[in-house]
Amino acid sequence: MTVDFLRRLAVFVALCLAQVLVFNRIQLFHCATPLLFVYFTIIIPRGYPRWATLLWSFFMGLFVDMFANTPGVAAASMTLAGLLQPYLLELFLPRDAEENIKASAASLGGWRFFALAAIIVVVFCLVFFALEAFSFFNVIYWLQCAGGSALVTLMLVMTLETIRK
Amino acid sequence: MNNLVAFLTKNFHWLLFLVLEIVSGVLLFHYNSYQGSVWVSSANSVTGKVGEWRSGVEQFFGLQRRAQELTVRNLELEAEHFQLRRRLLEAQADTAVTDSMMQQMTAQLQLIPSLVVGSTLNRPDNLLTINSGSADGVAPDMGVVCGTGLVGVVYMTSAHYAVVMPLLNFHSRVSCGIRGSGYFGYLTWEGKDPTVAYMEDIPRHAKFEEGDYVETSGYSNIFPQGITVGRIIGISNSADGLSYRLKVRLQVDFGCLREVYVIADNTFPERRELLMAARDSMELAR
Repeated sequence: MTVDFLRRLAVFVALCLAQVLVFNRIQLFHCATPLLFVYFTIIIPRGYPRWATLLWSFFMGLFVDMFANTPGVAAASMTLAGLLQPYLLELFLPRDAEENIKASAASLGGWRFFALAAIIVVVFCLVFFALEAFSFFNVIYWLQCAGGSALVTLMLVMTLETIRK
Repeated sequence: MNNLVAFLTKNFHWLLFLVLEIVSGVLLFHYNSYQGSVWVSSANSVTGKVGEWRSGVEQFFGLQRRAQELTVRNLELEAEHFQLRRRLLEAQADTAVTDSMMQQMTAQLQLIPSLVVGSTLNRPDNLLTINSGSADGVAPDMGVVCGTGLVGVVYMTSAHYAVVMPLLNFHSRVSCGIRGSGYFGYLTWEGKDPTVAYMEDIPRHAKFEEGDYVETSGYSNIFPQGITVGRIIGISNSADGLSYRLKVRLQVDFGCLREVYVIADNTFPERRELLMAARDSMELAR
């Protein structure tokens, strides 16, 4: 039980509670829900074991699902995000990046981090709402939900990043 | 083996990803009713297709035995078919079928239904009385038939009754022919047996045999062609030896005649008038 693990666990619990108690109740314009818990996956540092990333993401999704009563939806989407995050992080690293660089705005640079976060959040929202609806009869509505949620989530993520410094 | 282990350890996270996604999928489909129903219905179509293929393959392996079974069944059916055909042919020579043929024929004609209210059988000039008269459209020289065959010709009418000269009358002469061949002659009654009449003037070169049907030839101004009269039961020579004289068993049973039809065809009066006018003019020309 390393300190790092415990710290990560604390963030896990905090994000989970925030999502479940606060953000799940918010629905802007009847379609946009802030899905802040994906932030947990975004900030996993470089070099973290891939299997560990996957497991953390999966359990974050699972716990949110349990509270939101949508079993499997968030878990599946989060696992996908957990798979993509290491590869995307490699993509957005600055030239002289260290081995265990943190995935944050301070270390990567504002725009790189924003790009990384944006891609992960958008993909996550698309998959999340696709699984939730489980049909493509109403493509417009799906895109509205995903787009709206992605926007709100991104705003919250960037806000958190500025605080995190 | 080492390579496999190495491969697995290198790509362990992919395997884990797969496992976790499968677990999420199971949760998704099991605990959400909409997703679950979509899964079940699409799974059913897939399993249905696979089952179809499987049964197709199984059927293919059973084909030879099936072919043998079918051959045996085929033979049985052919034998049955042959028996039934034979019986049908025998039955077709029955009066039941000629009755239906008569019904078909009379359906095409304009008929006045009528009942026989008086008849005799034992006189040389037997006459029938029917309960339709001029008020019903019956006129002299109209043909009279019944369900089984030819009855006679209307002789005289009153307002509500008519007298019919049946075949069983010495004065009756109906132009008849043998069904199937075109040969025709005249049917007359000799008296004594009410079920037998004689057909004269059949040429000696005519081809026919006993059992052939005799029907109206159509060469008359009273009856259309094809009305059954009877069957040939005997062949003999005519008095002068130049033609055949056929003994005909009459189809109509005059002993129990009740329902008859008067043929009210519109073309016959015209033909009769024309023939009479032609004969009169020939008389005058002589």
